[in-house]
Amino acid sequence: MPSLAPGACGGCAQHRTDSLLRLGLNPDKWDILVALAGNPNVGKSTVFNALTGLRQHTGNWPGKTIVRAEGAFAYEDQRLKVVDLPGTYSLQAGSADEEVARDFILFGRPDVTVVVVDATRLERNLNLVLQILDITDRVVVYLNLVDEARRHGIAVDAGRLEQRLGVPVVSGVARERVGIDELLDAAWRVATGQRATRPYRLEELPGSVEDTVAALAGTVAQAFPRVPNARWVALRLLNADDAVVEAVRSGELGQLGDEPPPEEDAPPPPQSVRDHVLETARRLRWELPPDFHDALSERIFAAARSLAAAVRMQGLKRARFDFDRTLDRLLTSRTFGFPLMLAVLAVVFWITIEGANVPSGMLATLLIDQAHPWLHGLAAAAGLPWWLSGFLLDGVYLATAWVVAVMLPPMAIFFPLFTLLEDFGYLPRVAFNLDSLFRAAGAHGKQALTMCMGFGCNAAGVVSTRVIDSPRERLIAIITNNFSLCNGRWPTQILVATIFIGALAPAHLAGAVSAAAVVGIAVLGILVMFVVSWLLSRTVLRGEATSFSLELPPYRPPRVLQTLYTSIIDRTLIVLWRAVVFAIPAGAVIWLVSNIEVGGASLAAHGVSWLNPFGLLIGLNGVILLAYIVAIPANEIIIPTVLMLTVLTAGAAGTGSGPGVMFELDSMEATGGLLRAGGWTLLTAVNLMLFSLLHNPCSTTIYTIYKETRSAGWTALSALLPVAIGIAVCFLVTQVWRLVAA
Amino acid sequence: MVEPEFALAVFAGLCLLLAALLWPERGLLPRWLQFARLNERVRLEDALKHVFACRQEQQPCTVDSLAGHLAVPSGEAAALLTRLAGMGLLRMEPDGPALTAEGARSAVRIVRIHRLWERYLADRTGVPATKWHDQAERMEHALSAEQADALDARLGRPAWDPHGDPIPDAAGGMPPAPGIGLPAATPGRAVEIVHMEDEPPQIYDALLADGLVLGGRLQVVERSDEGIRVRAGGREWTLDPVAARNVNVRELPPDAPGEAPTATLRDARPGERVRVVEISRACQGPQRRRLLDLGVVKGAEIVPELVSAAGDPVAYSIQGALVALRGQQAAWIRVDRNGAGARPEVA
Repeated sequence: MPSLAPGACGGCAQHRTDSLLRLGLNPDKWDILVALAGNPNVGKSTVFNALTGLRQHTGNWPGKTIVRAEGAFAYEDQRLKVVDLPGTYSLQAGSADEEVARDFILFGRPDVTVVVVDATRLERNLNLVLQILDITDRVVVYLNLVDEARRHGIAVDAGRLEQRLGVPVVSGVARERVGIDELLDAAWRVATGQRATRPYRLEELPGSVEDTVAALAGTVAQAFPRVPNARWVALRLLNADDAVVEAVRSGELGQLGDEPPPEEDAPPPPQSVRDHVLETARRLRWELPPDFHDALSERIFAAARSLAAAVRMQGLKRARFDFDRTLDRLLTSRTFGFPLMLAVLAVVFWITIEGANVPSGMLATLLIDQAHPWLHGLAAAAGLPWWLSGFLLDGVYLATAWVVAVMLPPMAIFFPLFTLLEDFGYLPRVAFNLDSLFRAAGAHGKQALTMCMGFGCNAAGVVSTRVIDSPRERLIAIITNNFSLCNGRWPTQILVATIFIGALAPAHLAGAVSAAAVVGIAVLGILVMFVVSWLLSRTVLRGEATSFSLELPPYRPPRVLQTLYTSIIDRTLIVLWRAVVFAIPAGAVIWLVSNIEVGGASLAAHGVSWLNPFGLLIGLNGVILLAYIVAIPANEIIIPTVLMLTVLTAGAAGTGSGPGVMFELDSMEATGGLLRAGGWTLLTAVNLMLFSLLHNPCSTTIYTIYKETRSAGWTALSALLPVAIGIAVCFLVTQVWRLVAA
Repeated sequence: MVEPEFALAVFAGLCLLLAALLWPERGLLPRWLQFARLNERVRLEDALKHVFACRQEQQPCTVDSLAGHLAVPSGEAAALLTRLAGMGLLRMEPDGPALTAEGARSAVRIVRIHRLWERYLADRTGVPATKWHDQAERMEHALSAEQADALDARLGRPAWDPHGDPIPDAAGGMPPAPGIGLPAATPGRAVEIVHMEDEPPQIYDALLADGLVLGGRLQVVERSDEGIRVRAGGREWTLDPVAARNVNVRELPPDAPGEAPTATLRDARPGERVRVVEISRACQGPQRRRLLDLGVVKGAEIVPELVSAAGDPVAYSIQGALVALRGQQAAWIRVDRNGAGARPEVA
């Protein structure tokens, strides 16, 4: 293979910096730009990882990659940049994802577009391939998952497909790196122009539509002689596609030729000619029937069907036993579907809670009991003033350590387990089974999964709503995710339930009663989630768009090691990092309000006495409310903050380590005693459990909601709605309780 | 401590007050907003639109017709026309008021927003067809030209509104409403509905209640003085002449099938292979596009494979993939249950 000097890629297309900037691409130096396209859930991310050596999280889910990923590597002395486009079913620019993918292929001018195709679902995948071939000549098709296809009794003749499509076709199994080297070689040859392609072009349209399109295509071809597919441009103009209209208006269209461009870009045709094209398009639009779009889809699928039939090899023996169908029948059956689902989820939660106890305890001992005094010793030796070491160690460090100790172990167990279920393909079946329940509330079946994810961490739950591709249902899932009782809140619930509710029962039942109380709170959260979803879908979200579809992917054996790696990196550490970033200022604030004194009392004491009347009205107290305000960044530090503030205001001598120093007590009895001294009753405990479920999301989650929705309004609603519900519920419980008790 | 009875009473009072203020459509705030919208500008724009519409349909245009349309006294209608003339939007001709070029431009702009909004409601929201017109009547006065253009872009620059009326483009160009009136259709011919007039709403609602939708197919059985006898969906009924005039149709070629098949994908039994005939016109916008992208196109074969534990949704094998659709979506997909059989597809 001829090797070219770096940076001297003779045949590569010239990248127009302004186009790339518009697409949000950083025009670093590279020689060959590779676009990676494909249907959702065909293993695009796996191909991306195999090519670049990066480890992007992949999952057996349609719609994993929403944000465009980029990666670079060297091949044959050339620097290749790979851009992983969002998975789309088509390029008609009907959704934001499709627009991103289409604009990149059209205006990003990649040197080669690799289309990843799922060999088991050939027709649907070829639909996209044909649309891409309409835009660009430089395409390589990677026929992925041929092993899975063989299991289903499908074999595809890659050679014949290559012949029919007129572009290189490489078959392989991306997760085992089969065919990746061949793919790379084919892509490199197409990109450098060593391999010429003759892409398949779609046939004519039915009757009058064809006349209209042909007329406009003629006009386009006349105005822009170098455009490779004038028919496609004509179709897009007839669809009034803004990006293409703009490209004609500006003359940029003339520079999109796929041939290696000459030294200088040819001048665009004169203004009058371009206006004439647009004017003709506007006039001809009215001649098209309203079902024009249907006709286009029919035509492409007809071609895809005949192609698939021609390249699919017949007479293969199917696996003796259709594992997928049998498993599906079982997992979605009326009798076993729901019990199996509950059992699986119960096991996941049990492993999480049980498994997290020990490492959480160890982390707490290490970071709080041992490292904290040691650091203090170090600070004293260094001669730091008390306020500085207090601020840094008692405030910032302690809050951070607490968040890590409580949050890390359950997340590091829960997320990999969940990811294994996801990789295997079970989660879409859960969504399938539960959809009717969620539909009744105006939501999407996949919300069942984002809700479960919320039990791990609400911020991760909000991110996971990306798998819901219908805008309205996705917003509902985001706003209601906070009603899933997250890991950070379980310890609070368990502690309070054990001290106050378990104590009501006889000793041998105490454990069961307090566990039932916590589960009851979690179930209440699910109920509230349904009610709020129902209300939202009938009020503020009534006017939002909806489009349901749920694909059930084939089952795939999960890769345990890679799952552990990616789920810990991708989900656990990212969420933990965000939580730590927010915990730092929270720790600082907690220490400061407890130590800054105004008029003889600390700011915290002022706050508590100011909040107390309202707190008592809703059955809580000033300490709890202040704790929830200063601990917005992290639910994990509620109990330590409450204990510290209780000592501060109730003045229990000999307990705790001083103002602003969060602590927990070794025994439940001591904690209970301190809380009772702070004025807690059974009613306070019940209300705290309710309020811990029904209050604003932590600031990590709020920030994540803002990042996902890009809307201050929806973020504010998500933050304020639960608090309003929580205050109302606590108020009603308290007043009715007092009414009955009186 | 506050007495619980007192606290609960205050709380209930607060809830009632909030509900009275904010309740959708009935609350004080929504009512006040609606009242504030009916200002003079709205009436002027409505008058402009009326003159534009009756000139286009070549119907008499008088002070009285305007007064009737806006439900205001004749004196006020006349004052509105005078105001419009003073603004250079209108001039009085021997046969009644007519729009100046400037006036026609303004009227087309309002019509454009109205129809775009109807398209938006049809495509992107769950608002029922009977409410499209009323909501669009409000929005047409509320949106600026820039907002309308942004909406136009977001909707993919649609050419037709959900009633079959053309949506004027930003430059104001549009062709006349398509098709011929149903009374003019040849008896015995199959026709397709290409336009349904949405005013007056009573007639439009009755047409919808009869099951007529844009793009739907009818067979004209006979014409008589009582009305037009039509057949669709396996039943026959008579449309009264006034209602029939509000429906525009396109005659289909003589060999076209008369009425749409009545079986839908929802009727298909698990394992039964059916062939798609069409997606109902009631399914529009992103929902329709999604189905098309998944491969639910004319002639595609679909097999129901799995019923979920709760009975709905059902997973179908579509173009080689297993895709779950809800019952409501499956009911939009008309299928042929006999044509496909169990024949395997060969090249």
